[in-house]
Amino acid sequence: MTAIAEPTVQGAPPEKRGVGFVVSHPKVLAGISILALFALFTVLEPVLEATAWARQPQLYDPQFGFDSSMRHPSAPSATHWLGTSSLGRDVFSMFLHATRPTLLVALSSGLSIAVVSLLFGSIAAFRRGWVDGLVSHLSDAMVLLPAMLAVFVLGISRSDEEFGALHVGLSFGVLYGLGPAVATVRAAALTVVARPFMDAARVAGGGGTWIVTRHVLPHLYSHAAVQAMIGATGAVIADAFLSFRSAVGEDVGFGQMVYDGIVWSSFLSGIAATPWWIMLAGAGGITLLAAALYLIGVGLREALDPRSGGARSDQVDTRAFVGRLPDSNPAR
Amino acid sequence: MMPAADQDRPPRMPWFVSFLGRRLIWALITLFLFLTAVFFFMQVWVPYSWATQFLRFGFEPFDAARRAAGLDRPLPEQYAGFMLGLLRGDLGTSFNGGAVTDIIREALPVTLTVFIAGTIIGWIVGELLGRLGSWNRGPASGSVMATLGVLSATIFPPFLVFVLVRWLREPLLDAREAMGLPVDSLALWRGAVTGEPGALQPGDVRWLVALSLAAAVAAALVVRSYGRRHQLPLVEGLALPGMLLAAGIGIWLSGLGPHALDLLYRVDMTVTTGRGSPMLAMFGVVLISFGQVMLLMRAGMDAERSEDYVLTGRAKGLTERAVRDRHVARNVIAPVLAGSFLTFPTVLAGMIIVEFELEMAGISRVMFDAIEFQDIPVIMGVMVVLGLMGVAFRLVTDVTIAALDPRQRRGRA
Repeated sequence: MTAIAEPTVQGAPPEKRGVGFVVSHPKVLAGISILALFALFTVLEPVLEATAWARQPQLYDPQFGFDSSMRHPSAPSATHWLGTSSLGRDVFSMFLHATRPTLLVALSSGLSIAVVSLLFGSIAAFRRGWVDGLVSHLSDAMVLLPAMLAVFVLGISRSDEEFGALHVGLSFGVLYGLGPAVATVRAAALTVVARPFMDAARVAGGGGTWIVTRHVLPHLYSHAAVQAMIGATGAVIADAFLSFRSAVGEDVGFGQMVYDGIVWSSFLSGIAATPWWIMLAGAGGITLLAAALYLIGVGLREALDPRSGGARSDQVDTRAFVGRLPDSNPAR
Repeated sequence: MMPAADQDRPPRMPWFVSFLGRRLIWALITLFLFLTAVFFFMQVWVPYSWATQFLRFGFEPFDAARRAAGLDRPLPEQYAGFMLGLLRGDLGTSFNGGAVTDIIREALPVTLTVFIAGTIIGWIVGELLGRLGSWNRGPASGSVMATLGVLSATIFPPFLVFVLVRWLREPLLDAREAMGLPVDSLALWRGAVTGEPGALQPGDVRWLVALSLAAAVAAALVVRSYGRRHQLPLVEGLALPGMLLAAGIGIWLSGLGPHALDLLYRVDMTVTTGRGSPMLAMFGVVLISFGQVMLLMRAGMDAERSEDYVLTGRAKGLTERAVRDRHVARNVIAPVLAGSFLTFPTVLAGMIIVEFELEMAGISRVMFDAIEFQDIPVIMGVMVVLGLMGVAFRLVTDVTIAALDPRQRRGRA
C-alpha cells in the first residue's frame, strides 16, 4: 500500500503534463479521428448533393427518395452505396443526413454536463459545510435516476418539433450532470481545495469567485471533460432509442434505420433475406459515434488518473456522509 | 489482508454493524432526496398529465375522476400525499384503476433475477478479463480488449437483442429439450392457467428464484470476507459458486426445479411465441456490462504494476500469480467497484431496453406501456423501485469495498 499512503493526493498534477500528452494517448487519438470523420460526413452531404447526386436528386433524397428501377430493400450497389431501405430510400444519404442531429445531441449533452458538473462540483468543494452536504447527497440521489430513462419518459410519443435533438441533449445533460458527473467532479475538487496553493490564494486576499474561477476550475476541466464524453455516449444511445421507438414522420435517424431492418426481417423472417446493410449502417453509425466519445473519455481518464473509475475508493463518500473533509491540511 | 488496522478492535466484526448503520442513514437521506427529485421531475418537468390525455375535452365524468385521483389539489399537498403513501408502502393508483404496487409486484422478480445475475456475471467476467489482460500482454491484446470494452459499452441494445435472438434462440431451445423439460410448458402450469384456487403461480416461483439468488449472493459475500480474514483462499474462491450451487440445489429439492427452469425460458404465461427469455436477457446484460469493468480493471492494474511493492514481492520470490492476484488485483478492485457504481444508471437503462426488446413481462414493459398511456403513477412507481434497487446495489458495493479495504470501515469523523 505504499502508493496510496496519502489518500487524497492523485498522482502528479495533470495540468503539468500538457495537452500533447493527453492527445497522444492512443484511445483519445482514435476517438478524435472518428469524430473528425463524422464531422466530415456532415460536410459531405451538401457537397454530394451539389455534385454527384445533382443529376438524379430524387434517388438520393434522404426523406422522400425512391428508386423505381429496382425492388426494395436492395443490397449495396454502384448506384446505392449502402443499399436502399424498405421504403426505397438511399441508405447512404440517410446515414449522412442522420449524422447532424446526432452530433448535435452529443455536443449539447456534453456541454451541459460539463457546465452543470463544474458549477456544482466546484462550489460544493469550495464552500463545504451544508452546501457540500446537499450537493453530494443530491448527486448520490440523482445517480439513482438514470438520465436515459428520464429522457424516454420525456420524449416517447412526442413529435420531433416538441422534443428534438437539442431537447434530448440538454435534458440528458442536466440530469447526468447533476448525478454521476457532479459526484466525480466534486471528488476531484475536494483534492484541489486541499492543496497548499489554495492557502496562498487566500493569503493573497482573493475573493471566493476569483479563487474558484482562477485556481479551482482550471484543475477540474479535464475531469469534467471525461464526464462530458462518457455522458454524451449515453445521450447518443438514448437519442437513437427514441428515434428507434417513434419511427414515424419524416425525420431520419440512426435508430429508425435499425428499426426498419429489424421490422422487415421479423415480419418476413424466412421469406426475404435480412437487410443487414440498413441495420449495420444504423447500428454502426450509433456505435461508432458513441465509441468515439467513449474512447476520448476513457482515454482522458486513463491519462489523467489511471487507477480510478473517476472515483477513488478513498473519495467515495464516507467523507460526504460525515459531512466534512478529513483534516488534510492541519496547518490552517 | 491488513490485520494491523484492526488490532484495536475485537475480532467478531463489529465494524460491520456500525458501518452498515451509518450506510443505512446515508441511504435514507439519499432516498428522501431521490423521491423528492422523482416527484418534482414528473410533476413539473414532464409536460403531459392525465389532463392532457383525457381532460382537454372537458367531459364531466373525467373531472370527477380527476378529483377522485386527487389531481386538483395543490402541488405541496400532492407531494405530502405521495411521500406519506410511500411510508405505508403505497405507490398510488394507476390511471387504469389497479394498485401500482400490485402491477410492480407482478413484474419485479423477472427484472430482479436478470439484473442480479447479469451484473454479477458481467462483473466477474470483466474483472477476470481485465486482470489477465493486464498481465499477459500479447502484441494485439491491448487493442483487442479496448475494442471489445468500448463495443460493450456503446453497442445499440436493440441491435444487440436482434443478433442475440437470431443466433442464440435456437441453441437455447435445443438445450431446453436436452434437459428433459416438456415441450409444452402448459403441462407444468395447468393449475395456474385454468385458475384453480391454490395452484402454483409463476409469480411465486419467480419471487422464489429472485430472492434465493439475492440471498445466495449476500451469503457468499459474508463467507468470502470470512475466508479472506482467516486466510482460507479455498473458502474465499469457492464462496460465490458454492452459494449459487446451493441455491440451485435448494430450489431443485423443493420440487420446483422444472418450474424455475421453465420460467427461465418463458417470457410470460400468456405469450407463447415471445422472442426472448430471461436467459437471453441475462446474456445481453452481461454483454453490455462487462466492458466498462474490464477497461477500468485493466487500466488500474497497468498503473499499479509499476509500484514498489510489486518489486518487493517479486524479490521475495512470490510467484507472478500471487503478485497479480493477492497483491495488485486487491488494490485495484476496490476503486473499480466504487467506480462501477457510477455506471449503474447506464447498465440499468441498457437492461431496460434489452428487456423491452425481448418482450419480457418485466419492469420495462410496465414502464414503456405507462409512458405510452401517460400513466404517471405507474411511471413514478417504476422509478421509485429502480431507485430502491440502486440503493441496495450501492449498499452491497459499499459493504464489499469495506470488506476488502479496512480503511473504508471507519467514518472519518
